[in-house]
Amino acid sequence: MLAKSSDTPQGRLLGLFDILDDWLNAPHLQKTANLEPGDHSQLIAFCTEQAKTLGAENPTMLAEHIVLIAKNAAQQTLALKTSPVFNQHHLVHAKKAAHALILAQTQKASVFSNLSQSKPARYSIAASFILVLSVATVWLTLPTKMYIPQSKLAQNDLVTTTALSQEKGLTAQDATKMYTKYEQMRQGTCQFPEALLIPDKHKAIYLDNVVGGKLPTTLSDLAVANFYLEQVRCNFTPMLMAASK
Amino acid sequence: MSSLREKILTTASALFQTQGINSTGVDTIVAVAGTTKMTLYKYFGSKETLILEVLKQGHQDFQSWLNHKLSTNTKKPGEKIQKLFDYIEEWVASPDFQGVGFIKASAEFPKEENPVHQLSSEQSLQFRQYISQLAAEANIQDADGLALQLSLLFEGAVQAEQMKRGSGAMKYAKTAAKILIDGALTH
Repeated sequence: MLAKSSDTPQGRLLGLFDILDDWLNAPHLQKTANLEPGDHSQLIAFCTEQAKTLGAENPTMLAEHIVLIAKNAAQQTLALKTSPVFNQHHLVHAKKAAHALILAQTQKASVFSNLSQSKPARYSIAASFILVLSVATVWLTLPTKMYIPQSKLAQNDLVTTTALSQEKGLTAQDATKMYTKYEQMRQGTCQFPEALLIPDKHKAIYLDNVVGGKLPTTLSDLAVANFYLEQVRCNFTPMLMAASK
Repeated sequence: MSSLREKILTTASALFQTQGINSTGVDTIVAVAGTTKMTLYKYFGSKETLILEVLKQGHQDFQSWLNHKLSTNTKKPGEKIQKLFDYIEEWVASPDFQGVGFIKASAEFPKEENPVHQLSSEQSLQFRQYISQLAAEANIQDADGLALQLSLLFEGAVQAEQMKRGSGAMKYAKTAAKILIDGALTH
């Protein structure tokens, strides 16, 4: 179940908390249901594998610590089930703690991988650079046309060009703005909204242009991408601080 | 007379931490403390009361040590939360660190209705509330949430450290805590 919970090793490690949370919130679960004490060796072995793939500095310890956090949080949740103030989401917070722990163990590696961009990211940078260039040429030719005195033709031209560019591409400014956002996201730890919750027609845009970091090609796509970009919650300071350490 | 009580308390505390609470008999405690069972029962009544007293003392010592460290080494109240894990790490790394009483006790007495278990849960909660208070002093909005995250990190690291001495678990917990605190501060 945990192995299938995500495509990434980090997702599989953190999936543990979601599964436990679901399970503990199940109505049929009795308070008496005790978490088997002691043997978690299989779970630890699985988590160690994920931690290794992630490039953790000490995979076994990361795995053990994460399992301990999950176990403690689950026990606290169980203990609280009878109490009237059952409102603290222990597993949600446990997941955050585990996520921070993963970062703590992989920061050096992630700083390194930030330097050597992954292939698709490099590809998209190259592709969008060409796009920025072509958009910029359209943009730069506009003012010269405006200087032609009393030329209705030119004005018509201008209108059609802008209309065209609105449909097809974005201005250099739009592209730069998007780039700043992508760049920012790369420097932080970001929580993306679940793709499943997004309407089908937006899903492709979301995956390509928000998660994938590819520049949208049309203004309408840009608006959609921007909308979802706003919903990505990022945490920037820690990574920077860690890098300077 | 009360120095004898003190002696039993420190001896029991050391034995509980090194050998475990359940596996330390009253006979061993009185033998090491150089006293009699009669005296032990006179002061504590039962082994359970003795365990509870050891836990209370241990928690109080830890809290006042931490409090002292934090208030003498920070200028502004908001700084305390940032330094918290520095001192926890220092304490865990010190040669006489033998574990955290309430974490060990709760593992040795897993039944919820047991008074030892209840006290250790209470102490765990108290410590979390202490962190929450430090977070609130630093103007962190979700102080309770952060405190829960940090206490989970802390307890997990101590457990890892108790299983494997010198594991360095607290070092990573400290870095993770910094990430969480910085994240909470920017919100």
